[in-house]
Parts: sequence; structure tokens; C-alpha cells
Amino acid sequence: MTALAEQDVALIDLLDRLLGGGVVIFGDITLAAADVDLVYVGLRALVASVATATEKGVLPELGSAL
Amino acid sequence: MTDKLLHRPPDPDLLAGSLPSIDPVLSRRVNADPENLERGLAQLVLTLVELLRQLMERQALRRIDDGTLSEDQIERLGRTFMLLAERMEELRHEFGLDEEDLNLNLGPLGNLL
Amino acid sequence: MIELYAITSHPGPPLPDVAPLREIERDRLSAVIAHIDEEPVATADRLWHHERVVEALMQSRNLLPVRYGTCLPDEDAVAGALDRRREELITALEFVRGAVEVSVRVFGQGSEDQRDASDRNRSGADYLREKARRGHERARAVSAVHEPLRALARADAERPATLDRELLRSAFLVDRPRVATFSRLVAALQASHPGLQLLCTGPWPPYSFAQR
Repeated sequence: MTALAEQDVALIDLLDRLLGGGVVIFGDITLAAADVDLVYVGLRALVASVATATEKGVLPELGSAL
Repeated sequence: MTDKLLHRPPDPDLLAGSLPSIDPVLSRRVNADPENLERGLAQLVLTLVELLRQLMERQALRRIDDGTLSEDQIERLGRTFMLLAERMEELRHEFGLDEEDLNLNLGPLGNLL
Repeated sequence: MIELYAITSHPGPPLPDVAPLREIERDRLSAVIAHIDEEPVATADRLWHHERVVEALMQSRNLLPVRYGTCLPDEDAVAGALDRRREELITALEFVRGAVEVSVRVFGQGSEDQRDASDRNRSGADYLREKARRGHERARAVSAVHEPLRALARADAERPATLDRELLRSAFLVDRPRVATFSRLVAALQASHPGLQLLCTGPWPPYSFAQR
């Protein structure tokens, strides 16, 4: 197996940044999509609180039903 | 631009298979229609399922460390998680989402996953 | 159609000559764009070109890079986006001023079970034990590599590690003058942890710190 050229190694990280990072901007949102956006934001807050609650041990542990 | 490599791993074969084929990766993202409701909802739902899956796995691992699960329970939990992970991957592919898409940014809490 | 390269402050210095760029200015912000005929084509050359443009801009400006492939229909759409996100973008711009992004990936040994990742006949117990093993390896990578590097960075962010044997994938926001020191620390950490493989690239524009 040939080792990757330096440029290709750097390309792996370049891809990760260009596609996974950076400011995300969409065009003007249509009304329908705007409604979904609100739902998304609301659930984001819920998800955040679930994650935090678990870390703090506030959520009940898994039962042995499984 | 070869000046980006600040430190290369000593093992030359480590990254050999890792350069993703660019076309499918990019054309999916570049063509992603932000107004596609179905995809947006799928992304949200799958992110939540992924969150729960990871929380449950983490909890199971903690119980294994504590020694409070029987061998039988470990086996059954493990198989369930395996199947769930497989199903999640299938669902992701169905909706053209990758792992990065299921990674919500939670503001001050950082990223979800 | 408009392709977006970066968000910067307004007023700013003249645009570099590296591509036919234009600026759309709104209040204290400006978007650096190019008019294009069709959506960007996906090739390594195109990506490197995009990167060179952003880095040329970065030589004379503080900026937030925009995700690759971001296209908007017209200049009004760009102006609208700047208006909607004004305060957030201004805050982010200040946060990254004078710093660049450095990427660090930590790879572990993997195990003999690595190749069986898709083997449905693997036992559930093996699946969980492999997870546990990776979890412990990851925790060791965090304390051995991530924690020391954090001390040299303004901020750090973790990204999903998806490659084979990849334990940890981090992005660090490093003050420009500290990049060389940061780099030397990575080399030193590699030397003192022969069981880990470190990959460090940069400097990059602050892609992982453009949105908070």
C-alpha cells in the first residue's frame, strides 16, 4: 500500500472543514420551511436538556426489562 | 498546498484507505435543498433517535463497568444496540444523511455528538 | 447565482486579485462572493482553489469561512442573510480575530475485532466490549493529547471521529503566533505516546468556530 501523498492527507482535513464547518447560510426561507425551523429550534432545546440531565444523573437509569 | 501538514502520523499506511471519493460526498451536500421539508424532518428525527441510542449505549457501558448487568443482559443489550446501529445507518442512507448531519449544534453546549 | 466564500467586517481592505470576487456590504458586515453560472463542481482542484481564495482573503482580513457549496440566488438573498444573522456573525468574527484553526486527529491501535464491525453474527457482548474498549482508549487520548493542547488554544471543538481506528478528532482555535509552539507540542506528545498516531494539519481558516 502506498502512503498517501502529503496533499491528499491534507485533503482529508480540508474536506472535513469545507463540508462540515463554516457558516451555514440558506436562502430566504419559505413560509412552510420557516414553520419547520421553529419546531427544529424548540426540539433542539429539548435535546440539549435531555443530554444535560443525563450527564447530571437526573434521568432514571435503564430498567432491566431489556 | 503541501504546507498544511504540521505533523504526520508515523505509520505510513494508517490513512491509506481513508481518502473518500469526493463526488458522492460533495454532490449530495451541494445539491441538498434546504427547503426540503421531508429531509429536514428526517434529519431531526434521526438526530433524536441517535441521541437516545448513544445515551442508552453509554448507560449500558456504565452498568457493565459497575458490574450490575448479567452476562445474559449484556448479550441481549449488545445485540439490540448492534441491530439499532445497523438500522440507523440504513435510515441515514435512505435519507442521504451522514453522521455529520446528525450532529446538532447546541450553542453553548457544543455539538450534540 | 452567487457563491459565498466568507463573511468579513465592513469596511475592509481591497479584495485580493486571486479570483473575480465581489463584496456585498450591509452595516458592519460584508459577504465576499463570486457570481457563477452553475453550482460548483466537486473536485479536489476546485476545493483547493476555494481554500486558496479564502486564505488569500485571510491575509488581509479577519473572516468567517462559509461552508463550501453555499449558493444563493442573488445579492438580495445574501444581504437578507447578513441582516438576519448580524449580531451572531459579528460576535463570531470577534471571537476568531487573530487566530487560525488547527486540526488534530488521534488514531489508536484498533483491535482484531475491527474488521468484524459489520458482522451480524458477532455476539452482543463482543459489540459492547469493543465499545467499552474504544471508550477507554478515547478517554486516554483525550487526557494524553487533547487536554495538553487545549492549554495552548483559545478554544477547542470536538468533531465526530469516523475513520478506521480514529479515536478523537479535534479542532483548535490557536492564536497565530502560537501555531509553531502548538505544532511542537503535537510532535512532543507523539513522541511520548508511541501507541497513538497523531495527525495535525493547519493553519486553516476557522471553519469549526464560525458558528457557535
